[in-house]
Amino acid sequence: MSEIVEVQDLGVAHGGAVELEKLSFKLDGGETLVVLGDAVSGKDALLRVLGGYARRGDECSGTIRLGEGAALPAAKRGKPALRIVYLAAAADAPLNPHASVMSQLSRVIARRHGSPRASAREELRIALERFAEAPPFAELKKRPGELDAMALSWALLAAAMAQAPQLLIADHAFGDLTPRSIRTIVAALVAEQKRTGFALLYAARGLKAAAQLNSRVIVLRQGKVIEEGAFAKLASGQSHAYTRTLFKALPKPPGQPPGRNTTRGEPLLQVQGLDLGGGAAKRGRDGITFELRRGASLALIGEEGSGRRALVRALLGLDHVAGGRVVLDQVDMSILSAPMTSRLRRRIAFITGADDALDPRMTLWDTVDEPLRAHLRLSRDMVSGHRETALKRVGLASYDGRHAVSTLSPFDKRRLQVARAIVSAPFLAVIDEPLRGLDAFAQSILTELLEDFRRQEGPAFLVITADVGVAQALAEDAMFFKDRKVVERGPLRDILKNPKDAETRLLIEAAALPGL
Amino acid sequence: MTVATTTHAPTGTVSLHAILRIAGWIGLGLIAVAVSLSDFLANAPANATGIGPLLAAPSAEFRFGTDILGRDMLSETLHAMSATVRSALPATVVTLIAGALFGFVAARLPRSLALAVRSLVGILASLPALLLAVLVIGLTTRDWAAVAAGLSAAPFTFVRAFDRARIEERATHSEYARATGISASTLLRRDLVYEFSDTILSSAARALAAVTLVLSTVSFLGFGAVPPHRDLGLMIAAAKPYFLHAWWTAAFPAAALTLLILFARLAAGLDEGERA
Repeated sequence: MSEIVEVQDLGVAHGGAVELEKLSFKLDGGETLVVLGDAVSGKDALLRVLGGYARRGDECSGTIRLGEGAALPAAKRGKPALRIVYLAAAADAPLNPHASVMSQLSRVIARRHGSPRASAREELRIALERFAEAPPFAELKKRPGELDAMALSWALLAAAMAQAPQLLIADHAFGDLTPRSIRTIVAALVAEQKRTGFALLYAARGLKAAAQLNSRVIVLRQGKVIEEGAFAKLASGQSHAYTRTLFKALPKPPGQPPGRNTTRGEPLLQVQGLDLGGGAAKRGRDGITFELRRGASLALIGEEGSGRRALVRALLGLDHVAGGRVVLDQVDMSILSAPMTSRLRRRIAFITGADDALDPRMTLWDTVDEPLRAHLRLSRDMVSGHRETALKRVGLASYDGRHAVSTLSPFDKRRLQVARAIVSAPFLAVIDEPLRGLDAFAQSILTELLEDFRRQEGPAFLVITADVGVAQALAEDAMFFKDRKVVERGPLRDILKNPKDAETRLLIEAAALPGL
Repeated sequence: MTVATTTHAPTGTVSLHAILRIAGWIGLGLIAVAVSLSDFLANAPANATGIGPLLAAPSAEFRFGTDILGRDMLSETLHAMSATVRSALPATVVTLIAGALFGFVAARLPRSLALAVRSLVGILASLPALLLAVLVIGLTTRDWAAVAAGLSAAPFTFVRAFDRARIEERATHSEYARATGISASTLLRRDLVYEFSDTILSSAARALAAVTLVLSTVSFLGFGAVPPHRDLGLMIAAAKPYFLHAWWTAAFPAAALTLLILFARLAAGLDEGERA
């Protein structure tokens, strides 16, 4: 395969701050390179310069050679000698929300090829229909907000393929999808790469897509190359300490001991015949029945819409349920009035991957103080003492507590949720896709924080996730969901070794890492 | 691109929008000073006739000229501005209570009742504020002009506050708070504090612009201030017979009124909300 890109000693500085230092690599046609790092690692600067959309004020050094052309200074690169295509993540909302996906992507393809819109639309249709799992072409007539993340990812990928790239720059393109979706779409991308021979530069925050690509990886941190090598080698543990921290976020192989005390306590949550509205009771089937003991951890695993969140909302009395009985802390929830149910929920903590879960107008301090003030009416000194302890434990003590939540990064917001959970002294913590959208380093730290939270405060965990790897890190038992029904349950370690249901097998396979 | 994992310190750049808002508040501050010192700054008491020749053009002695009764236009404009602002302030309070506060509370009524109230006030908001003010004055007396102006601007403020409160109530963070046992009263208190600390100044400035325009217009039409207590609207109305050959009789009160409304709109962030 011919050489597509050669980057020599690339450096990028902006406003006096060095974003990237002396990065060098070569990338051939048909080859994949994953650049792994967090938001301040310098990979964004690399993508900007390589993609030809450097910011005003970027100071670049080093050279870039594209295709058969000569090596040119990175600061003075003209029109690229090959087709560079940018693939954005659906989660980053790259399209105008008010126009149809089809019209916007057709326009991009038409502009690339200088062809009429009708012809570009046909190119898009052909590219999309090449993917067996992609949504029907007619679906793209919808606006971006009306498509789910996976459908939009297929559309963006098809548009990228329709532009016949020689170099595809994928910016964390699939990282926010569920493991099964990532596996499917990465497989399709790799098949296209084999067919057409483009070079792929994949900038990754997390490890899921990088693991599926299973290729050469450059680990960046604060603009410097920490390490470079094959994914399998880096994941093996024979690597730099920083890389090892990143790779802690990977799922453990089945059969590893959970690494924590699994002593069980008294029943905390008892659920009998809960009907989530799927009509189970009417069709003569039992609803959902299970028990969660104090201090235990149960993962509710399934794809979006499989009924996990509906179950949790029903358990906490947030939604009406068609039938069944929920006993929480020895209290039958069905006999409680709404205010009493609310009082019972004071001992329940929520830590979610939704970045709008905390009131953006509140300050850091107010966010942590609120449960203490609202529920316990403690003195000001006691409130500030609890707050300081909690913020110290999650690593936010050095932040200005008067800053609004809206100024925080997603990782900081998650940590703030943990701090709020710590001061609530909960008996149950609902952990809903806690690692979604975070980079590998943040995933690793947050997982440790959650484990520490459970170890020290001892709440029971209900972990909602589509990722078996996350479940492995945070829970010992699991219930697998499909179509609002439980398809398999039991100790997670046993299920991983010997899954019985086809849906369970698919979810486990999606989290498995090729080559490891 | 990607999301930063560090805290974003507030940036040092100030947008044009922010500069205009600051300019608006500075302007309102200067007007407040002029109003509070109007008796000191004016050359003559309010409505003092025969101070100078009739309809004298602006000069070194009478910087804004004089009117048909020989009143000093500079002094009269200052007194009229003071009268307008003194009526507009209570009217603004009425707008904030009957609009913003009522809208905030109404959004938390049971859904069907809340939507019924919203529809009713929405109908009022679709009517010209001036007509509503004249209607209220007609049903009461001219002494109620400030309340009438405040009530006439309230529907717009109500709708805005109601819609914001509904969005907040259904926001993910409210759901999150409820799921962790935060009571409805705590949530209400939280929303009230943040809603008003975030928006009270801009709502007040927006309401001030709206009620000033309504008050001046009703006075211009003869439904508001009664001579000898003249506000800017009444001054402009009094200049109608002469302004073609004595432009200063209308221009200076109109300029003062324009500045007051402009500064209030700038302070509100040039929001197109409550246009009276």
